[in-house]
Amino acid sequence: MTATSLNQRESLSTDGSCGVPLVQAQGVTRSFSRVTALRSVSFAIGEGERVAVVGPSGSGKTTLLNLLSGTLQPDAGSLTIAGRCLSQNLPRSELASLVGIIHQQFDLVPQLPVVHNVLAGRFGQWGMFRSLFSLVWPQDYRLAADALEQMGISDKIQERTSHLSGGEQQRVAIARAIVQSPRLVLADEPVASLDPARAEEVMQLLVELTQDSGRALIASIHSTELVQRFFTRVIGLREGQLQFDMPSANLTQADLTDLYELHHEESSHHWH
Amino acid sequence: MARNRISSFLESPRLLSLLLVGAVIWSLTSIDWSGPLFHTGGGDSALRFLLALFPPDLSPGFLGIVVAAVWQTLAFALAGMTVAVALGLPLGILASGAMASPESRLRRPTVVGVRFLLGAMRSIHELVWAVLFVAAVGLSPLAGILALGLPYAGILGRIYADFLVEAPEEPLLALRSSGASAWQLLIYGRLPMCLPDLVSYTFYRFECSVRSAAILSFVGIRGIGYEIQLSLGDLLFSQVWTLLLALLAIVALVDLWSGYVRRSLLTS
Repeated sequence: MTATSLNQRESLSTDGSCGVPLVQAQGVTRSFSRVTALRSVSFAIGEGERVAVVGPSGSGKTTLLNLLSGTLQPDAGSLTIAGRCLSQNLPRSELASLVGIIHQQFDLVPQLPVVHNVLAGRFGQWGMFRSLFSLVWPQDYRLAADALEQMGISDKIQERTSHLSGGEQQRVAIARAIVQSPRLVLADEPVASLDPARAEEVMQLLVELTQDSGRALIASIHSTELVQRFFTRVIGLREGQLQFDMPSANLTQADLTDLYELHHEESSHHWH
Repeated sequence: MARNRISSFLESPRLLSLLLVGAVIWSLTSIDWSGPLFHTGGGDSALRFLLALFPPDLSPGFLGIVVAAVWQTLAFALAGMTVAVALGLPLGILASGAMASPESRLRRPTVVGVRFLLGAMRSIHELVWAVLFVAAVGLSPLAGILALGLPYAGILGRIYADFLVEAPEEPLLALRSSGASAWQLLIYGRLPMCLPDLVSYTFYRFECSVRSAAILSFVGIRGIGYEIQLSLGDLLFSQVWTLLLALLAIVALVDLWSGYVRRSLLTS
């Protein structure tokens, strides 16, 4: 099944050729105190898809990513990845093999050498003694070295993480995701703090990371150009609701303007 | 509404200020203003004590005693701090609630219970602990070490817990989403992020424990305080000065050392 035909699928109707979609969200709702951050959002994402989530700040993008990463639980509705329901009783090792998240920044422990920040991607597989031992004698060292090699910063493996530049730290975070190797990779504004050239590089790396069979990428993105160049599909969120869901090639500036525009009566709401 | 106003009044600094001003005014009424405020010979004694500084007693025989006393005091301080860290770190980790999942029903009772225990340990002064331990195990070094170790473990545990709670959230969330358990969060997240603070606070407390160890001698445990007491009893003020200067020197040295370690932790 090609990516295009997956893109065109609007509803959850399972067509026999593909089986269960990799990610399935059904009526997902989540509120914080009295503000509804996400209201009855449904979609299905197949293997090999790269989905950009766009929307003004406060539209629920980060909430959606946090729900998908399993760090938040929905108030109503359900989320499944590879057929497994994301709930609190899902063992951490299994959750880590299903989904991993890369944030804009502050993801790493700055005081530790790079190697430990990369090997954190193995924590789901390690027990307490292996982790303690690894602090002195890094376990699965080869995995970390290979991941950093892919990121082009293998020379930094023993360096203190805080000594790296912002772009290098972003690569370390991606190297961690490589080592973790989850089916679904989430990226929360992965390039917001980078200059255009670096942003493009990082996007390229994220695409490569999810190119293997059986994987998918979901990222919140602000730039139309990046959406069209690196993603197969785009989901527009506004005030916690799904505004559009289409192939990224069909995205027009008008769609985005409409999405980001402040409607007069709605601007009185304070979305956070 | 009324309850709100009462509780905000209780929490405001105004109440405390009023109580303090009241206490000062009341204390003035209890002074016997007609009699002399100072002991008549007080001025003379103070002057004699001050003049004894020029020079302090630097005779070789006495310096030997000073060095031995400094050594004993340092040994007590170090041993006491070792006990304090060994007890305070695990208790502090428990008191921070970092080891229990936020949903666990045992989390709150553990945190409250351990914090109460830490509070009890530090609310009793080391001198009082010393008196208790001397009564229990006699005038042995063990009494001094435990008397220092328990209250300092109470202080360290409390501050360690606060540092661990205040560790930056984002890296911890990221570790959690890559599958980290509470143990992994602790050893790869909270502890390394808090390490400079933990170490520098421990050094600050080590400095305090040197002073405390010196004071402990007043209950009969050997060290600088013991020698000060002997020299004071014989009115040998120039010896007292030598001992005080030695104490000052140790505290200054510990301070220099801790600054050095802290800098190397922050930049390495």
